Amino acid sequence: MSRRNFLKKSAVVGAAYAVPGNFVTFARSVLAADPADLAVVKGVSPAKITEAAITALGGINKFISKGDIVVIKPNMAWDRVPEQAGNTNPEVVATMVKLCFEAGAKKVKVFDRPVNDPRRCYVQSGIAPAAKKLGADVDYVDDRKFKKMKLNGQVLDKWPLYTEVFEADKVINIPIAKDHGLARLTMSMKNWMGIMGGRRSKIHQRLDESLVDLAMFVKPTLTVLDAVRILTANGPQGGDLDDVKTLNTVIAGVDQVAIDSYGATLFGMQGKDLGYVRIAAKMGFGIMDLNQLNIKKVNIS
Amino acid sequence: MQNLRRISQGIFLLLFVFLFLQTESTGSDELGYPAKLFLDFDPLILLTTLLASHSAAKAFWLSIITVILTVILGRVFCGWVCPLGTLHNMVGALKKRDRKERTNWHRVKYLILIFLLTSSLFRLHLVGILDPISLLIRSLAIGVYPPFNLAVRSFFDTIYELDPPGLVNLTEWMYSGLKATVLAFKQPQFRQSFFIGVIFITILGLNFYEKRFWCRYLCPLGALLGLLSRFSILKRSVSEDCNECGACGGVCPGHASPDVKEGWRDSECYYCWNCDDICPNNAVHFGFMGKKTTPAMDLGTRRVFLSSLCGMVAVPLMRSIPGAGSAQLQPKLIRPPGSLAEHEFLRRCVKCGECMKVCTTNGLQPTLLEAGLEGIWSPVLVPRIGYCEYRCTLCGQVCPTGAIERLELEDKKKVRLGLAMVDKNRCLPWSHATPCIVCEEVCPTSKKAIWLEKAEVEDRNGNTLTVQRPRVDLSLCIGCGICETKCPVGGKAAIYVTNIGESRSEDNRLLLPESSGY
Repeated sequence: MSRRNFLKKSAVVGAAYAVPGNFVTFARSVLAADPADLAVVKGVSPAKITEAAITALGGINKFISKGDIVVIKPNMAWDRVPEQAGNTNPEVVATMVKLCFEAGAKKVKVFDRPVNDPRRCYVQSGIAPAAKKLGADVDYVDDRKFKKMKLNGQVLDKWPLYTEVFEADKVINIPIAKDHGLARLTMSMKNWMGIMGGRRSKIHQRLDESLVDLAMFVKPTLTVLDAVRILTANGPQGGDLDDVKTLNTVIAGVDQVAIDSYGATLFGMQGKDLGYVRIAAKMGFGIMDLNQLNIKKVNIS
Repeated sequence: MQNLRRISQGIFLLLFVFLFLQTESTGSDELGYPAKLFLDFDPLILLTTLLASHSAAKAFWLSIITVILTVILGRVFCGWVCPLGTLHNMVGALKKRDRKERTNWHRVKYLILIFLLTSSLFRLHLVGILDPISLLIRSLAIGVYPPFNLAVRSFFDTIYELDPPGLVNLTEWMYSGLKATVLAFKQPQFRQSFFIGVIFITILGLNFYEKRFWCRYLCPLGALLGLLSRFSILKRSVSEDCNECGACGGVCPGHASPDVKEGWRDSECYYCWNCDDICPNNAVHFGFMGKKTTPAMDLGTRRVFLSSLCGMVAVPLMRSIPGAGSAQLQPKLIRPPGSLAEHEFLRRCVKCGECMKVCTTNGLQPTLLEAGLEGIWSPVLVPRIGYCEYRCTLCGQVCPTGAIERLELEDKKKVRLGLAMVDKNRCLPWSHATPCIVCEEVCPTSKKAIWLEKAEVEDRNGNTLTVQRPRVDLSLCIGCGICETKCPVGGKAAIYVTNIGESRSEDNRLLLPESSGY
């Protein structure tokens, strides 16, 4: 992203922060009374819809307490700019950072173990500059902080995972919804590949089972699926703007199976079309059947 | 004057080191600092590049400033600026006294210069091997910086693991400070690190034989500046007060014989002012007198003839290695994006190693003999070590000579370094009934050059399963090598790149042109 674009973007984010004071009070009174399982919020401002989605779930204070050390795990695995929808939308991430600090978080850490060069991924995704500006710790992963952990999964028995995730008080998963050659779609459960150390590409040999093992082990506090722009082909990194569909949507919730199941519908699929969602639901990790969920849909202008 | 000179040397050395450290990606598209600045001011490279490739990168004309400076002030570059010279000074300071019976091999460097110029005239570009700036950057990048990083990292890692009470917080704080300043983003690794490091240490070690041995007797840039220095306006003169006490003889870094009135070697003077400073009778003066003091050094006609002859003979000699530079025999000679066609590339590249230093994935490595003897230490992409980052143009930004052209991002994305091909015998879905799509996942072109073909396969027990087998679309593959880097099949990858199809060559093609006109 050029400096100019970045400044322009920052200005937009800044403006968005200035507005929602009144809006949030309004939304809280309307929505917070009956917290939803899933909040699906649509609107042109990524910052506003992210805030509204959290409000619909009962507000950030329900998830983050004063003094918490929070880990935010976006997808910033690729050397791509936000328009290409290869990484999580930087404004969505920044908004969550802001909310965590508002809830009194002591520290907010944002990181990913990228596939492309980490420096380029962090900067080009727009996430590192946006999150740093709000006071988050945006460090590159440190090889020494991967420790072999006992997952006791069906496929993954032991694997080196990033210790900071497990040392944090709260963990927030902020994936982006994208096409994927093997998993078909990558959303919240697959985002945890970013905390794996070692030669993680091996898990593609039994991907669906491995993803469930991993997601069941991490147990995030909250998941926010970014569907501001989704990548419909040539995923998971994309590149061609023709493959990007703008949905201006975020989906938030606690149940990753439910979120991924709902996410599938954005691509004209169903949760049962995705192996890992099917397996996870069968194991009782979450709810795949959208009819069983209290889904709150909000449109904001 | 000595202090003033040391300050100047210090500033230029620090600037050099600073620019060296900044030759590293920050994640943005531009580097932000003129990493190659010192090379731009090197008139020797300008001259040989002009001879060898009949053109030179624009920035090289900055070196005219060095020429003008030398014509006015003499070889001040050697005494006040050159970072390698400063390093020689520093190492030389470890030796108490300079050798008494000093060698008089000054002419050797002029003969080396003649050799380099003659071979350049015949379009063999060897200057980078001996040019001091090029040599220094290469030695630091490949020979010194990697072990330095390794040593520092191991030190702090060891403390971190031992975890002595109360110490780790302090050391980790120091470590993060070092990481933010002098350490590389990730541990650099180069083939030939040891080899190039040993050459560099040897060159520095020569100071223990005789101080500034390299500058006095070997440096071809020093020779060129020495020739120019003969015409300089600033000259040293010695007044009648000189009683030939010989005090200045021992402090002259150029071994220019300031203590011998008739033996004074004008073009060997670095204008360091040491002789002026030390003279007990204050008999030495530097001033703009324009007085031609000494005769030109007599190199000997035969020697000059011989070294030019060597320069000529070197051309066919170095090139008569089978397969040197031929894609047919060196399929793994994958050049960085934007590289000129091989012949022209070799006429430009000065093996400074800037591209290898800046490469984000460490994939650019120095060649040994893959590009022939003349191409030694030129860059080659080794995808098993690191791939070419799709949206990165840094190597072209730092290349001082234009051997790697500076490309705009959109153009760079279209440059083909070679083509990837699947080794079906090693590939999991092709040969082992095991799912894997990693090469397709990481393929950066859009649409992807690697596509997946669904196939029903049977395992040993007769179970059928569906796998997706990777296929390469040769019309889309750019040979960036990320598939080879990331292929989970360890050792020899199940997909690999060779240079066939590279954009820079007209012959090394595989596919027919889209519309051949028939």
